[in-house]
Amino acid sequence: TGKQPSSTTIQADETCDYLNSHLTIFVVGASGDLAKKKTYPSLYALYRLSFLPASVVICGYARSHKTDAEFRDHLVRTYDDVRSAETASGAACVNRLFYFAIPPSVFVPIGTSLKNAIIGPSEEEEKEMGNGCDGGDGTGTGTGQQHIGWNRLIIEKPFGKDTASFEKLSSAMGALYTEKHLYRIDHYLGKEMVKNLMMMRYSNAIFEPLWNRNHISNVQITFKENFGTKGRGGYFDGYGIIRDIIQNHLLQVLTLVAMEPPVACSGENYSNYVRNEKVKVLDSILPVELEDCVLGQYLAPEDGSEPAYVDDPTVPDDSVTPTYAAMVLRINNPRWEGVPFILKAGKALNERKAEIRIQFKQPPGAAAMFPGEKIPHNELVMRLQPDEAVYMKMNVKEPGLRTTPVISELDLTYKSSFPDAFNVDAYTRLILDVLRGSQAAFVRDDELRSAWKIFTPVLHRIEREKVQPIKYAYGSRGPAEADELLRKEGFKYHAEYEWQSRSNL
Amino acid sequence: MSTPSSGIQADEFCDYLNTHLTIFVVGASGDLAKKKTYPSLYDLHRHAFLPESVIICGYARSHMSEAEFRDHIRPYLKGGDDEDKSDFLDRCIYRAGAYDSEGDVDAAFDDLRAAEAEAGAACVNRLFYFAIPPSVFVPIGTSLKKAVIGPSEEEGEGNGQQQRIGWNRLIIEKPFGKDTASFEKLSSDMGALYTEKHLYRIDHYLGKEMVKNLMMMRYSNAIFEPLWNRDHISTVQITFKENFGTKGRGGYFDGYGIIRDIIQNHLLQVLTLVAMEPPVACSGENYSNYVRNEKVKVLDCIAPVELEDCVLGQYLAPDDGSEPAYVDDPTVPDDSVTPTYAAMVLRINNPRWEGVPFILKAGKALNERKAEVRIQFKKPPGAKAMFPGEKIPHNELVMRLQPDEAVYMKMNVKEPGLRTTPVISELDLTYKSSFPDAFNVDAYTRLILDVLRGSQAAFVRDDELRSAWKIFTPVLHRIEREKVQPIKYAYGSRGPSEADELLRKHGFKYHREYAWRSRSNL
Repeated sequence: TGKQPSSTTIQADETCDYLNSHLTIFVVGASGDLAKKKTYPSLYALYRLSFLPASVVICGYARSHKTDAEFRDHLVRTYDDVRSAETASGAACVNRLFYFAIPPSVFVPIGTSLKNAIIGPSEEEEKEMGNGCDGGDGTGTGTGQQHIGWNRLIIEKPFGKDTASFEKLSSAMGALYTEKHLYRIDHYLGKEMVKNLMMMRYSNAIFEPLWNRNHISNVQITFKENFGTKGRGGYFDGYGIIRDIIQNHLLQVLTLVAMEPPVACSGENYSNYVRNEKVKVLDSILPVELEDCVLGQYLAPEDGSEPAYVDDPTVPDDSVTPTYAAMVLRINNPRWEGVPFILKAGKALNERKAEIRIQFKQPPGAAAMFPGEKIPHNELVMRLQPDEAVYMKMNVKEPGLRTTPVISELDLTYKSSFPDAFNVDAYTRLILDVLRGSQAAFVRDDELRSAWKIFTPVLHRIEREKVQPIKYAYGSRGPAEADELLRKEGFKYHAEYEWQSRSNL
Repeated sequence: MSTPSSGIQADEFCDYLNTHLTIFVVGASGDLAKKKTYPSLYDLHRHAFLPESVIICGYARSHMSEAEFRDHIRPYLKGGDDEDKSDFLDRCIYRAGAYDSEGDVDAAFDDLRAAEAEAGAACVNRLFYFAIPPSVFVPIGTSLKKAVIGPSEEEGEGNGQQQRIGWNRLIIEKPFGKDTASFEKLSSDMGALYTEKHLYRIDHYLGKEMVKNLMMMRYSNAIFEPLWNRDHISTVQITFKENFGTKGRGGYFDGYGIIRDIIQNHLLQVLTLVAMEPPVACSGENYSNYVRNEKVKVLDCIAPVELEDCVLGQYLAPDDGSEPAYVDDPTVPDDSVTPTYAAMVLRINNPRWEGVPFILKAGKALNERKAEVRIQFKKPPGAKAMFPGEKIPHNELVMRLQPDEAVYMKMNVKEPGLRTTPVISELDLTYKSSFPDAFNVDAYTRLILDVLRGSQAAFVRDDELRSAWKIFTPVLHRIEREKVQPIKYAYGSRGPSEADELLRKHGFKYHREYAWRSRSNL
């Protein structure tokens, strides 16, 4: 019951061979929260927009309490039905997408069962054994009359808690699957503005000449949430804000801001070009020092309307897990040496937003050319959420009879410039990337290894020394010490200016 | 009198506010005085930018009573209420006399001297506004010099009544010559009477908000200057489009043509501010000559325009015949070859700009009314390889001077949604939406205020004009000598298509699918 690709603004014209084959989607952990809130709604959006083939079966699977052997038998029996549908489709080629909407503790057991019971040795492995077949991306295999185009696995964070646990997971999964099979989701990489980052940087002649230590004074990447753990802090308390937000989401954004131009950003086989550059810039970043961090944990607000973090019943009373962190990262390469990259993330703050803020150096000579005037620094801001926007804070003459600079901005607010644009959820974009075989927006094994190298030492030190987070009130801007850290790193704050979103115009 | 209103403050060099001011408007019965000079003086008065003690004397050949004169200008005063207008008009007097008569001017000044004396101020300032054709600049300049201003080379002389004269300043209006020779004559005649310190030559484009903003934009933002050169910019266009013809008043225009009327003055002035090197100072004390030195310097780097780098046009009637052709204007000769449209390529031979064409375009009777600066950047290096198969439009920084001031950067972003294709969008600053409460000041108002404050930066210096005429005189003479036939274009069209060809030849990339929409009406 497939339709022609709908909607005027999107067309299923990019690498969509999978549309002409049968597709099996196997959602493991289908009864859980993630599957319900993200996986299925995104699959529905893709289906509605004709980005799923006419011949598709989506099988939800969840594990009830069984022994491993029972589980495996059950999995095989379940997949028998799916395989019947594959055969009944009569398609010459079948593709299989496995979505792991499950905690990492069961990645390996389930991955093993799937590999043994369903996926079998990959085409590459079969080729080594001398009985492979052509086509697909090397992850498929033959099944009687039907050819398996590909087997792809989507897996969700966390990918370890530190270097050691990451390496353990990585080698266990690596024994089963190659990088070609694995699509590690970081949903920040599916956000419109993050997907736009490479296009912005490299398809405009105006940015790249400024994009370096000669013109940029500091870069901030910020995540703010205006609510706390809401009684579900148990999981969070074992990870903390650095692992939950900074080491993955914000660091991924940083790599796209800071990396060198890749060989290609689109077209065929560009994924590893992009990921090579991300790894390269990660490898230029020194491990974070505790002295370059401000850690915080929220208290109840003054009116007592919300609980403090430690009053969450699922959080230990003496928890020192940070719910806020600001950290300075230093990229020691020719482009960025001396430019601090400041990553900030916090829960229970005054607002909800995520943004990249690139502050430029002071305009050379301006203090002499406009004597006595205060000349604010330019800033390029990319707002990731809510209400995507790009704006350049810029000085113009105050309109009217004075010759005084005032801050205004060159503004591109998506809601007003693209009022009809289809507002796509990050998961929808990313699942489509998987179907198209584009791995650029998925995190490669070596990216994670390099990322953990940056954060593992400071995370271990925080835990070993039980570093006390600075307390801040729920609904506040976070610890004042973070402003001090920014000031020390050269960020100039212009209190009188506030950007007004044009989303509601 | 009210205190300065919100958003604007009379705090910059406003010493003149504490003393007596005499304003003497020569040609007060004419069109310019009625439509520009008096409305701007009224605007300044209403916003407390004129001193409490001010007298404004209109002077012209026509005999009119004071009441008649006030009735003549009152309809052109905008804003405020009747009381504001009467309060202003009470300070306006009118005297008739000949321009070449020292005696008439002296007589007219009797009352003004009396008012100065009566004001009792230790110091009086005098502003002379020449709202007259250039043919009478010298006669009235001579009469004023002899009867009123006196022989002083420098300001600060007495007026013979115990009062010190703070300053004598003359505002004069274009045209400042028709070519190098006529300019030199006018310049030496006026130079014999007045020094550069006295003279404020108005080019009203220099009073436009966006033009006044140009230096602030370039030099108070760290993001522009690194890009502002031949390494990153491929072409610069400065465009003036008018959507009406000569309206039966082409007689004056026909003797000048669009190149003298718009390009050699207004557009070239804008060009200098776009292209000049950073001046020592752009504001503060005594910055005017720093700015004008840089303007002269960049003008001197421009080679004279070649006819081969020009497209000349003249408008015909539109297809539906609803408007007359240029030559059907009754005041225009039937065989006129005067261009009503011109596109010209200027080349700036200096280290910053060599190889970057500056294209000045101006035309009457076109499809729209606008004036803008459009800076097109080179293609993003490497992008073709990084986004295989995609068309990657060039960036453009556009400063819209009129109508509806705006600055926008045409920029590529990923098409929102599920595709990875670039689409043109823009980083936009539209003044009406970003500064909804800003005081919308007329260019003349700003410029008269500059005169009162003694800021000459936005006025054209003698040597700027000399350098400007050097660029245009050879091609103007050749056009006239060879009676170069302009290309005909229809009233209401985009102008001759040969101009598009000229742009294309010089590397300008036109991206048809994109049209910027003003946010002024949001």
